[in-house]
Amino acid sequence: MKNLKIAILLLVIPALAFTVPHKYYVSVTSVEYVKEKESVQIISRIFIDDFENLLRKRYDDKITLAIQDELSTVNMYTERYLKEKLQIEINGKPVKLNFIGKEYEDDIMFCYLEIEGVKAINSIEITNKVLLDLFSEQENIIKCKINGKNKSFLLREGNISRLLNFH
Amino acid sequence: MIKLKYLFLSAVFLSAGAFAQKQESPEKQQGHTNNNKFKQLYDEFSTPNMYRTASGAPGSAYYQQQADYKMDLVLDDTNAKLSGFETITYTNNSPDTLKYLWVQLDQNMRAKDSKTPLIQNDAAQPAATPGSFANTYLTEPFDGGFNIQEVKDTNGRALQHMINRTMMRVELPKPLATGDKFSFSIKWWYNINDHVNGRGRSGYEYFPEDDNRAYVIAQFYPRMAVYNDVEGWQNSQFWGRDEFALPFGNFEVNITVPADHILDGTGKLTNRKEVYSKEMLKRYEQAKKAYDEPVVIVTQDEAIAKLNTKSTKTKTWKLYAENVRDFGFATSRRYIWDMMSVKIGDKDVMAVSMYGKEGNPLWEDWSTKAVASTLKSYSRMTFDYPYHKAISVHAKQQGMEYPMICWNYGRPDAEGNYSDRTKFGMMSVIIHEVGHNFFPMIVNSDERQWTWMDEGLNTFVQYVAEQDFGKWYPDALSEGQTAYPSRRGPAAKIVNYMGGDQDFIAPIMTKGLNTYQFGNNAYGKPGTALNILRETVMGPELFDYAFKEYANRWMFKHPTPEDFFRTMEDASAFDLDWFWRGWFYTTDYVDIGVKDVKKYYVSNEPNAEIKKIAEQRGMKLSDLPPLVFFVEEGSEDFNNDLKGKTALENSSTLNEYIMDNFTPEERAQIKEPKYFYNVTFEKPGGLVMPIIVEYTYADGTSEIMKYPAQIWRLNDNEVSKVLASEKEIVSIQVDPNLETADIDTSNNAWPKEVKESKFDSFKKEVRN
Repeated sequence: MKNLKIAILLLVIPALAFTVPHKYYVSVTSVEYVKEKESVQIISRIFIDDFENLLRKRYDDKITLAIQDELSTVNMYTERYLKEKLQIEINGKPVKLNFIGKEYEDDIMFCYLEIEGVKAINSIEITNKVLLDLFSEQENIIKCKINGKNKSFLLREGNISRLLNFH
Repeated sequence: MIKLKYLFLSAVFLSAGAFAQKQESPEKQQGHTNNNKFKQLYDEFSTPNMYRTASGAPGSAYYQQQADYKMDLVLDDTNAKLSGFETITYTNNSPDTLKYLWVQLDQNMRAKDSKTPLIQNDAAQPAATPGSFANTYLTEPFDGGFNIQEVKDTNGRALQHMINRTMMRVELPKPLATGDKFSFSIKWWYNINDHVNGRGRSGYEYFPEDDNRAYVIAQFYPRMAVYNDVEGWQNSQFWGRDEFALPFGNFEVNITVPADHILDGTGKLTNRKEVYSKEMLKRYEQAKKAYDEPVVIVTQDEAIAKLNTKSTKTKTWKLYAENVRDFGFATSRRYIWDMMSVKIGDKDVMAVSMYGKEGNPLWEDWSTKAVASTLKSYSRMTFDYPYHKAISVHAKQQGMEYPMICWNYGRPDAEGNYSDRTKFGMMSVIIHEVGHNFFPMIVNSDERQWTWMDEGLNTFVQYVAEQDFGKWYPDALSEGQTAYPSRRGPAAKIVNYMGGDQDFIAPIMTKGLNTYQFGNNAYGKPGTALNILRETVMGPELFDYAFKEYANRWMFKHPTPEDFFRTMEDASAFDLDWFWRGWFYTTDYVDIGVKDVKKYYVSNEPNAEIKKIAEQRGMKLSDLPPLVFFVEEGSEDFNNDLKGKTALENSSTLNEYIMDNFTPEERAQIKEPKYFYNVTFEKPGGLVMPIIVEYTYADGTSEIMKYPAQIWRLNDNEVSKVLASEKEIVSIQVDPNLETADIDTSNNAWPKEVKESKFDSFKKEVRN
């Protein structure tokens, strides 16, 4: 029991101190269902430095993001990673995400993903584990706009999925 | 008859009045208190008093305490330990008698029994890597708390004291009356933390390739807490996030480090000849006269040469600082050191940089210039920088400020390449941290209570300073850039935050520890709010005078939020209570749009509405007084002949009036409006803001109108304006230059623009 306490202490110590400008680990993913296009449009906003850090640790430490001669492998790794960490089930079935691409604005990376051929959404379950493998304090905010309803929620370690039902 | 005519007129005006009365509800409504957005902030503000006046200035009884320090510090580089013996002389300038003193022990946040980890929300992980498992489960936690060895008075008698986490209460032998001083000493040591792996504002970075450390050391000594008229003793513990509240004082500090270390810190170096080599002294004299390019005091080669010949001897660096609220220093044998003079007012200030070789080539090119540029910009916006130097020290992942010295990130890769992000990240953090010399080091607000007071104000001036830097050093910009790419400041950059989920937004007037999205809350939003206030609401002339007044009133003093809010109004005659209330006390956002546009022409013929009113009152149309009628385009009274003609051409009544009442000279001067518009603006957002509207005419010209925020005072949802124009309006755009942080611009245009979504336009771009 004592060991466990120390373990928990250690786990969280890195979250304590902040430098200025203070770091916080958060991403925002908007999920919008455009019925007339039968399309679920997803834009994930992730801090460039966090994602760069991740790609370096996970795949290739030579990667630098948002530079003119960015390595051509970046898109491949980004796609591979996002498809693994961002999982969606619609009407109880896992669906395929198409990676459209990414762009940069200031210190944010915008990743575009799409689910095609969605005729109706009765329920959607979103699992977002993005960056949790790097920062245990990472928080992933999801903003849904589905069937005319807006719904936001926060996913984090220990609470990585949310199921929304539309009736 | 005349009477009847007037009655009729008033009936017309009443029915056409601007107030769209609500339908009478079936039940009588309840009353309410004053919840007008323009209500003065009496409920939120503290009552002005002798300490702090209603104008926002220090009052006639304003006081502040003083804490003077004498410290002898010894760095044990081998064991990464810092020990010190300090004597604090505390002066009680308050009208109160003090029974005890509170001393802050910030390093105890890193003690084994720290409660900071216990307030973090966490969750079990399903799996861990062996490395993180070992770190997590198999090793002892780092013990970085203070070891307080003794607390004594000047006669060597032990003083009773009690430690409550990051605070220590020291009992006074006898109560300290107004004007009295009390001296006591503390002997202490602690283990210095690794600020790269453990994170933290202070600590060392270890370089395994040459087995050396670079130390950036701060909040390392027991520091007096603030006692003042608003908080009494500052009793909010250091949890790790909210920074510091510190009294001013004079510091005499002797720091003993390995003899081959280079050290710089808060204060004047009083034994330069003892610690500098002859060559360094010579270069230092050159730097005093160098205003364009820094002079290198310790070169990269000289720094590299020391890496493997570690001195076992020591040297003591002596620093003396007057009227500072804190003390920090950096020391290492790895440091390269350069300096350059910058003229501030009629005084020379030394801009200084210290960095390891891994900071180059970025640091030798830009750090010292960024320091110098920042001092100039901030001095213009506030007061002449009063200290004699400002140092930027390179430390990985750091951005942290202390008087005269700060730590900054920005490191090229191993081959010396860097991205724009790294470059501008480094420049911006230097500008930001050097800027903190003004807020909060000199304008000494309480960071523990109000993060935004220094971070928000500093982020605002940082934006001004970054734009200056881009102008003064165009070489610092990258290809294709015409201005410095500021990350914060422009209104549009805060839209995502302010338009975000209300569950994860707190008002700016919230203690930092309790906010979500700390960076946006305490830096981005207040910085942007002030930028909007300056550029869009008040105008730079009024704003800058008032902002400068605030800085000067509170320089070397302790302001509160009200002192800032009040001074900004007091010095500008600009009632801003509505702005402070909306932007600082709520999480409301800006959303203003065009709801409806109706186009009218002037006519001789009574329109349907007038006919109806006449009929209701049993009047003949011939009984009507001379009137100029408005006809809406497309209504049943409208005919195409009215189009394109002036009001005089369309209304003989008006023409006759003009002929009877205006001289030919006056007639030559009158306006000739042909088109009349009733524009209705809606405000789905809670914030009241000026309505900025661009009217574009058929001939391609356009003009921008600004309706003050007070236009919303009687209706918080919808207002309308009537425009008389000689030219036909073809489009109307609200906030055309995106200067109000309007979170939804889809309702900003008439005729409505159908904008492609961000997703669709990106997808199209990729497909092409």
